[in-house]
Amino acid sequence: MNRREFIAKSAATAALGLSFSEERKLRAQPPADVHLQIAPLKLEIAPGKHVETIAYNGQVPGPLIRWPEGKPIAIDVLNRTSIPEIVHWHGLWIPSDQDGAMEEGSPMIAPGAQQRYHFTPSPSGLRWYHTHSFAGHDLKRGLYTGQFGCFFIEPKDEAGAYDQEIFLTLHDWNAYMGAATDASMDVSYDYSTINDRMLGHGTPIQVKQGQRVLFRIVNASATVTHWLALAGHEMTVVSMDGNPVPVPSRVTALRLAPAERADVVVEMKNPGEWILGETRDDIRKAGMGIVVEYAGRQGEPKWTDPPEVLWSYRPFAHPEAATIQPDYQIPLLFESKFRGHGDFDYWTINGKSYPKTDTVMLQEGKRYRLVMRNKSADDHPIHLHRHTFEVTSLDGKPMSGLRKDVVVVTANSTAEVDFVAANPGATLFHCHQQSHMDFGFMMLFRYS
Amino acid sequence: MTAIVPRRLQFARDRQQSRNTVCLLVFTAAIIGGLCGRAAHAQDNYEIQVYGSDTVAPKTTMLELHSNFTADGSKPLPGSKYAVDRLYPTNHAEHETVEITQGINNWSEVGFYIFTSARDGDGWQWVGDHIRPRVRVPDSWHWPLGVSLSTEFGYQRRQFSTDTWTWEIRPIVDKTIGRWYFAVNPALERSFHGQTVNQGVGFSPSAKFSFDFNKYISGGLEYYADYGSLHGFYAFHDQQQQFFPAVDLNVSPNWEINFGVGVGPTSATDHLIVKGILGRRFDWTHHRAGSSGSTQ
Repeated sequence: MNRREFIAKSAATAALGLSFSEERKLRAQPPADVHLQIAPLKLEIAPGKHVETIAYNGQVPGPLIRWPEGKPIAIDVLNRTSIPEIVHWHGLWIPSDQDGAMEEGSPMIAPGAQQRYHFTPSPSGLRWYHTHSFAGHDLKRGLYTGQFGCFFIEPKDEAGAYDQEIFLTLHDWNAYMGAATDASMDVSYDYSTINDRMLGHGTPIQVKQGQRVLFRIVNASATVTHWLALAGHEMTVVSMDGNPVPVPSRVTALRLAPAERADVVVEMKNPGEWILGETRDDIRKAGMGIVVEYAGRQGEPKWTDPPEVLWSYRPFAHPEAATIQPDYQIPLLFESKFRGHGDFDYWTINGKSYPKTDTVMLQEGKRYRLVMRNKSADDHPIHLHRHTFEVTSLDGKPMSGLRKDVVVVTANSTAEVDFVAANPGATLFHCHQQSHMDFGFMMLFRYS
Repeated sequence: MTAIVPRRLQFARDRQQSRNTVCLLVFTAAIIGGLCGRAAHAQDNYEIQVYGSDTVAPKTTMLELHSNFTADGSKPLPGSKYAVDRLYPTNHAEHETVEITQGINNWSEVGFYIFTSARDGDGWQWVGDHIRPRVRVPDSWHWPLGVSLSTEFGYQRRQFSTDTWTWEIRPIVDKTIGRWYFAVNPALERSFHGQTVNQGVGFSPSAKFSFDFNKYISGGLEYYADYGSLHGFYAFHDQQQQFFPAVDLNVSPNWEINFGVGVGPTSATDHLIVKGILGRRFDWTHHRAGSSGSTQ
């Protein structure tokens, strides 16, 4: 049992012990605004094709939570599974004990128990919620399951320059340890879906010529970076991780690492029946795609390969360096620790794996620069809980204005992000690939 | 072979592909069942390799050079340039084999071999060619072991093999657990022309285990044998038995490097062989790593 499992089991035991008093407390509370029930689900992703998973309220993705910025929300979560669970509210500036990461002090929800999360959602934009439980070698737990959903925090003054808004979640199913003899094991999957259906088996997205359609897309995959394109169309990226980008830019294909989000606007000016899907044939054929159908048009959906794209955050940011200098720099070195060609790697930050990683102490109000150097051969979508950061440099080249909560530090590269320590409490920092965070790629920041 | 496969997403093959694989396995098994007769001797020291279950990825070619030097092998009979059975001696012979393997889809490949031999006095000579289709159990079946089935057919010149036209079927089972790797190839062989054509199917198993010392170096033991006909194994001293302590270098997904020194304790086996395999993978998709078209 590693430390993470120990904490989880301890939390579960404690939660069971408190169940009576908790129940009394819950009865005394006003009704929740949102109810989530975590339970096993046999999900049909195509006719006759089912995956056994765990989901919220019997659906994948979980219900869309749409809530005004700054208005308190109460969410009751009932755990109908046999294992302790927890829900993380990804990208929100909320207290540590409500954030939904046990490493920060949020309690686990014991099997059969109910827990209320209560916070004031902020900042506005596309956030999401998902399980933050440990999976390890059990690829039927954690984010390998269907425990995710979109959480849209409505801004007070959004102009809404679009005609239609579509929420899409990307996910991969039936994970297993893929055989590869040259390096460590990787997670592979049988199927992929956009929302809950494989390509060709869901309800097409209906559009009209001339419409501006806003797609809000979440990559809810446990480990896979996905590339999306809409055949016959270009996309304009207007937000990343829920935050408006300084320079909205057109792309032919969009890269989203696990936990990244993008809001893209597509001008519907090429009537037909098109596929919005993964650019890579094998993943699209495994199901990752959805049909976009113009009104009055029917027929075989068309796919055309977009030109090959190398992704960069740079076109969406200001090219000049950030004007505000950080008060402190925190150097972070990411490396892998080989465990055999038949196992996952272990991961280290500055030479140590969680829970042995150093704890970084922050001072409230100070601006910090995370100087990240990835010496491994894998890309890492790095997530900082409870804060938003600004990407200030990639591979030594400065940039500014791009605010995110997940940034991909590609293999053998460097990246720098700045954030202001403005939300006291334990704050988790980790790679969002489930198989990386479960095997050491995490550390805690605390406020002094 | 102990193929090196790039890290890539291993998505499901569709059901039709799976059905095709089953059909091919059943068909091949039926052919075996119909066989009678006796196998040829093992393919002598041209490709010394225990196969792993994985296949070369589609749109990818694997080019390998097998270099085997027999430090202590069969010697010419007195007054003759030939060893027993009018075969060229193997002592101090350098065998160079070019193997070209093309991935067909995510569960099959075809390999082609060019065998050559060089020895003082005999010069560099073409020995023969083989072709080797192979299928494997798709990842989507989620079997706990890697399983594939290889079949190899081809010709070797009479001066290098007592059996010229031969056929082999090789089940392959392997498993990687942490730092350990295990593979077994219980191969069956059959001669269609030559000395042992009437002796039926022969049993030529090989096996390997290895340990990952680190990400780049694995070491272990490889075992190769020819027990003789399934109707009755040879006496032990007439069996071929070889043990190769061997090292695999995993320096890159695109390269395969294997090196070993083999000893043969029986009289029918070359006693000391040094072997090396150098393989290079060529990906013809031309996608840049990390791009929208790459598989990484």
